[in-house]
Amino acid sequence: MSTEEQIQTFSQSYTALREEIGRVIVGQDAIVEGTLISLFAGGHVLLEGVPGLGKTLLVRTLGQVLDLSFSRIQFTPDLMPADILGTNLVMESPSGRREFEFQRGPIFAHLILADEINRATPKTQSALLEAMQEHQVTAAGELRRLEEPFFVMATQNPIDQEGTYPLPEAQLDRFFFKILVGYPSADELTEVLNRTTAGVQAQVQKVLNRELLLQLMNLVREVPVASHVKDYAVRLVLATHPRTETAAPIASQYLRFGSSPRGAQTLLLGGKVRALTHGRFNVSFDDLQAVAPAALRHRLILNFEAEAEGITTDQIIGQILTDVPRDAQAVSV
Amino acid sequence: MSKDLTLVKGRRVGQFNERVMSELQVVQSALETAAGRCRWNRALRGLWYGLLAGALLSLLALGAYHLFPLPLWNVIAAALVPFPCMLLGLLIGGLRKPKLQQVARWLDGRQRLQERLSTALEVSSQPDNNSNTWRDLVLADAAQHVRGINPRQLLPFGLPKATRWALLVLALAAGLGFVPEYRSKSFRQKKIDETNIKEAGRQLAELTRHNLEKRTPIVEQRKESLEAVAALGDQLAAKSMTRSEALKDLANQAEKLKEEISELARDPALRRLEQAARSATGAEGQTASALQKQMEALQKQMGTPIGNPDALEKLKSQLDKLQQAAKGLADKNSPGNDAERQKLSDSLSALSRQAQDIGLQMPQLDDAINALAANQTDLLLKDLQAATTDLEKLREMSKNMQQLQQQVEKLGKDLAEQLKNGQPELAQQTLQKMISQLKAANLTPEQLQKMMDEVAKAVSPAANYGKVAEHLKAAAGQMKSGDKPGAAQSLAKASDELQNLMQQLADAQQIQAALDAMNQASSAIGTGQGWRMARGMPRAGKGGKPGSGVGTWADEDGQWDGTTTAGWDNSGVVRPDEDPRGVTDRGEGEVSDALKPTKVKGQFSPGGPMPSITLKGVSIKGQSTLGFEQAATAAQSDAESALSQEKVPRAYQGSVRDYFDDLKK
Repeated sequence: MSTEEQIQTFSQSYTALREEIGRVIVGQDAIVEGTLISLFAGGHVLLEGVPGLGKTLLVRTLGQVLDLSFSRIQFTPDLMPADILGTNLVMESPSGRREFEFQRGPIFAHLILADEINRATPKTQSALLEAMQEHQVTAAGELRRLEEPFFVMATQNPIDQEGTYPLPEAQLDRFFFKILVGYPSADELTEVLNRTTAGVQAQVQKVLNRELLLQLMNLVREVPVASHVKDYAVRLVLATHPRTETAAPIASQYLRFGSSPRGAQTLLLGGKVRALTHGRFNVSFDDLQAVAPAALRHRLILNFEAEAEGITTDQIIGQILTDVPRDAQAVSV
Repeated sequence: MSKDLTLVKGRRVGQFNERVMSELQVVQSALETAAGRCRWNRALRGLWYGLLAGALLSLLALGAYHLFPLPLWNVIAAALVPFPCMLLGLLIGGLRKPKLQQVARWLDGRQRLQERLSTALEVSSQPDNNSNTWRDLVLADAAQHVRGINPRQLLPFGLPKATRWALLVLALAAGLGFVPEYRSKSFRQKKIDETNIKEAGRQLAELTRHNLEKRTPIVEQRKESLEAVAALGDQLAAKSMTRSEALKDLANQAEKLKEEISELARDPALRRLEQAARSATGAEGQTASALQKQMEALQKQMGTPIGNPDALEKLKSQLDKLQQAAKGLADKNSPGNDAERQKLSDSLSALSRQAQDIGLQMPQLDDAINALAANQTDLLLKDLQAATTDLEKLREMSKNMQQLQQQVEKLGKDLAEQLKNGQPELAQQTLQKMISQLKAANLTPEQLQKMMDEVAKAVSPAANYGKVAEHLKAAAGQMKSGDKPGAAQSLAKASDELQNLMQQLADAQQIQAALDAMNQASSAIGTGQGWRMARGMPRAGKGGKPGSGVGTWADEDGQWDGTTTAGWDNSGVVRPDEDPRGVTDRGEGEVSDALKPTKVKGQFSPGGPMPSITLKGVSIKGQSTLGFEQAATAAQSDAESALSQEKVPRAYQGSVRDYFDDLKK
């Protein structure tokens, strides 16, 4: 398939995905868009929101519209790593011989729903680290590759913190986007009531298979980016590094740690997908600015002062986007 | 999105390679059009930013001028600095032609083209590779978006925000111009000193040059000394010097002049000549014949010989009395005054006779007697007034005649007297006369003998005039031996010697004049009162006119600097005359006993000491060129002026009037 055909297919697939998801999920366009951007960029998503806002439903719906294997893991405090990764069990062969055989855990799927991920212990949470970054797991002393594409869609509840284990920074960094799920509007809520309290449940169709998804994921990476746009991404990330020459004043004041290089990668990849979804063949500053909050908010570590003053990472990112000039080298008139 | 993606439909890389070039040209063409506009916009922006920078500089410069004693050109520079700054901003803004990539990025941002143009330009500049398809797509997209962009409409000229700030700063700078600048007292004093030094220097140079133009010293060294004084004056006028520096330079130069004067003073002949010059009668430069001519002219004017001025004065006082009596007669115009008329008529007749006795013809008196007889009082008064005027004129002429006679009497009759009286010019004239007589063929032995006696008699007084005595002695001897040419030659030498001495004296006087001028300059600079005040002249006020009176002549800006009356101490002095009083009881004022003037009538006894007080000040040497009466009259005029202008405290006004009344008596 040629590039033009791939772009055409991307456009059709994206539109179809939005439509299918829209049958189930009312509103939440930004959430859906962010999730789909992560999907096409090959990144994992952390959805954070209070219960009942459709986080799990969104991921489940996504699993339904994609012709991919789907696993749902409900994270609980007693969940063990082996429950996720799998373990060796003594199995009897047809010949009557007993031998260890690796029983794959739910991680061995294309799309993983890690529901309420912060309820598991750090030990269990860490079991996902290798899988998320390397797309492989090491179990019973053996390295096992996970089949591509591999997506982890995690949800977590910001309230009811008792009995939860905040995700370590290393794991947070492995999430492509952290998307905050907000309340629906009045119209959306009405529509939700209409759909969910009637007798008919919405049915969705699979619109994208694995092979095509992999092709589109490769296509995304080919979108050209101008050097000054790349430079903007770099400057944005550098501005989050507190107490450095490039730091934005607010970063130095309220941040303990800034974004890792993964933040810049995320900005650019997210920008590329967004450009394609908006019908462009190049990445713009607007693309980077649009994806910046989701790409960076979980990568910034607040200091005590920020915690005390109730400053959020979104506020800091917003200020950094204001402070850092888009195109410092452009001719000024 | 569908619109953009329709571009993709049906396109193949191989098919639209040709179109790619045209699309790139479209993009580049649009960018080049925008570049010119962008350049102009940037230049104009630079202009306004230049104005802002210039206005800030101007404000700073004006602020600095108001706080610190900077020269006046700082204000001019502050007013002008925005203009070059604007020009510089315009040049900097418009000098560099922006690159296409820069223009593309700028246009992307300005027109919200989502970095289409800049990405297209960058991708198209990369070498061919596998991403050709993307390049084509991006270029096609950019070309589609750039079509229809009219830079003139999209980039209208406008004023940047800096303009507002620039205008605000300019307004502040203009406002600052109305704020009076701060200058310390020491700085103001320094400026006054500088002005005084420059004025003193200019006057010194002018005076010295004027003297040099009038007469050039015979010795080159003295000429150089005077030129050095003039140069010093120029230096003082041109350079900015402190008071101490100026005084030091003046003192150094004055020291040199003093040395030269001391050197000249060592010559006894010159000393004698100088003494003689000091005691000169004032008719030194005039010959006896010239004085005689003046006297004859005066006599001709007066007509018949008349008495001395005292007799005329007496006549005048009598005439004044008669005039008063005539006035009284005019007031009491009644028949009972016949006796008084008769008495007046007799007095007038007696006065007329007295005048005739001293050889004075006064027809006005006769007319007055006739008018009195005809009972024409007005005519009588008129005639008496005419007689008084004539008498006054005659008295003045008589006085002048008397003075001329005194001068003639003081002139030396012969060579010996002339040398003795210190009249070298007359002596020189006499010598020249003798030389011409000696050269003449018709000189009789008697005349020669008489001349020889006169020359021999003059040998002794000529001892004070260097070699003059020696030459006179030789001349006398030569005359005795009948050697008339030799005698003439010796007399010529004596004449030359006298001439040389007079030249030396003139040099010395010239140097002394320069020294006096330098002292005056030192005094002007040292006291800080300026050249005119140091010279005793009123300082020029506003409009360059002298005087400290009313109106615009007064130096209203002048402030008392405490120098002139620093020694005064009025503490403890009770001044009831200055106590506040109502308008109605403002009388003569009362002065405390300590301040009441004590009137002591001067009693002059010949040979006895005169009562005097010592006043500190600049000592004035030399002789007064004014007569006592003239000086007293001038002083009285000044005093009356001061009294009329209320310059003298009320309590002292009576004292001042009394003083001058006494002086008159």
